[in-house]
Amino acid sequence: MLVSVAIVVFLAGGVFFTFVSAVGVLRLPDVYTRAHTASQTDTLGAGLTLVAVALALGLETTTIKTFLLLIFIFITNPTAAHAIARAAYEEGIEPWEETDD
Amino acid sequence: MADHESAPVGDADADADADADSDGPILVPVGESVSLRTTVAHAIDVASDGDRGGVHFVAPVPLHDIDDVDPSVREATQELLERVEAWAAEDDPEGALTVETAIIGADEYLFGPDDYAAVLAAYADEHGIDRLVIDPEYNPRGNASIIQSMEAELASLGFAVEEAPFARRVRRGRFLQRGGRAQFLTLFGVSFLFYQLLGGFAMTRFDLLTGAASAVIVSAMLYRVSLGDRLRVAALARRSARLVLFVPYLLYEIIVSNLLVSYAILHPKLPIEPRMTEVRTAVWGSMPITTLANSITLTPGTLSVLVDGRIFTVHTLVPTAREGLFDGSLERAVRFVFYGRAAAGIATPRERGDCRILGEEDETE
Repeated sequence: MLVSVAIVVFLAGGVFFTFVSAVGVLRLPDVYTRAHTASQTDTLGAGLTLVAVALALGLETTTIKTFLLLIFIFITNPTAAHAIARAAYEEGIEPWEETDD
Repeated sequence: MADHESAPVGDADADADADADSDGPILVPVGESVSLRTTVAHAIDVASDGDRGGVHFVAPVPLHDIDDVDPSVREATQELLERVEAWAAEDDPEGALTVETAIIGADEYLFGPDDYAAVLAAYADEHGIDRLVIDPEYNPRGNASIIQSMEAELASLGFAVEEAPFARRVRRGRFLQRGGRAQFLTLFGVSFLFYQLLGGFAMTRFDLLTGAASAVIVSAMLYRVSLGDRLRVAALARRSARLVLFVPYLLYEIIVSNLLVSYAILHPKLPIEPRMTEVRTAVWGSMPITTLANSITLTPGTLSVLVDGRIFTVHTLVPTAREGLFDGSLERAVRFVFYGRAAAGIATPRERGDCRILGEEDETE
């Protein structure tokens, strides 16, 4: 019972941060600011969801794979975000500032 | 001391003959190492035999050691050079050779073997030197040994490079580096365990066989690539233990900044103040820098845009995230993982004056 509650809480958290991230991508003004919010989906969005998955599975081989998945996401996500930001910067895209409105 | 000198002489003669056409002083990079005393003796030997007139002992010290770290580091280097000078005087009692000492690279960021080779080469060119004697245990970065790549780089720049003989090291060094057996076995072990982990440790004959086969393929292809440095099991174990402490801390930082950024995004007024900033971080070595850059990006609100040596260009979304970056808590945590508790205490980027907001120079306060 307690486990089910925990699963629901973690899932809700995951969904919340993924939602915020989606809102962020729509609302934020430029490529750099959007890259910030993209890392939200991957860290807490995917993270909390995967914790819920691990709890739901219980102690199993697949649970270990869930954690490995999380580790890979934590390594690849910042690498991709950095690649995008760096490409933008090298293309000479100016970062947006409040005064630009 | 006498026992150190007996072995090297034969070696030195052979080398002196091989390079008979070159003269001028000898360059010896020095740093704390167990074989430093032997190396000094050997260098003096070679210089006297080849009638080279002088030996230059130089300590390549990367900028951060002298600039932002506490002054005791600078004093330690100075002391080391004085010690070397005293030893040289001992080995050359008539004073036939001119012995010079210098600190080099202090205004540069020495990142890898190439950088060390470059500052040494620059010094050598300036002083008309074409020959180097390298301490076999010379290890300026403290963890991974760089001397082999450094020697190769120097040799390709046309210098005569020679390692001072040191009996104790030869056996240990050759075993690992020539055969790479330890690297191979380590990688094999890790790949094999990983394979079994994915298979849930079923331990059927099929799993064991296919696991061994794939582990052989993986380690045969990659043991020179992924474990290029000499293995230091104790250091690796300490580092892994500290990494276990780092992960919860990183998760905490991620959760806090996620909430901050979520607040800004959901707020009707969208209260963001994006700024590009530049931070000269106090981490060095490729793994620590990668870890720090990735941790910065993983934390919402800060995003590594460019990494050039230890200078990071970081985009920050909200002022709170920017303050956090300038307070350097992640940087400190990464130093803790890779260099231990002592290094964690280095001043924050703000205290060092190593951070600024690009485009508005006067607002760094």
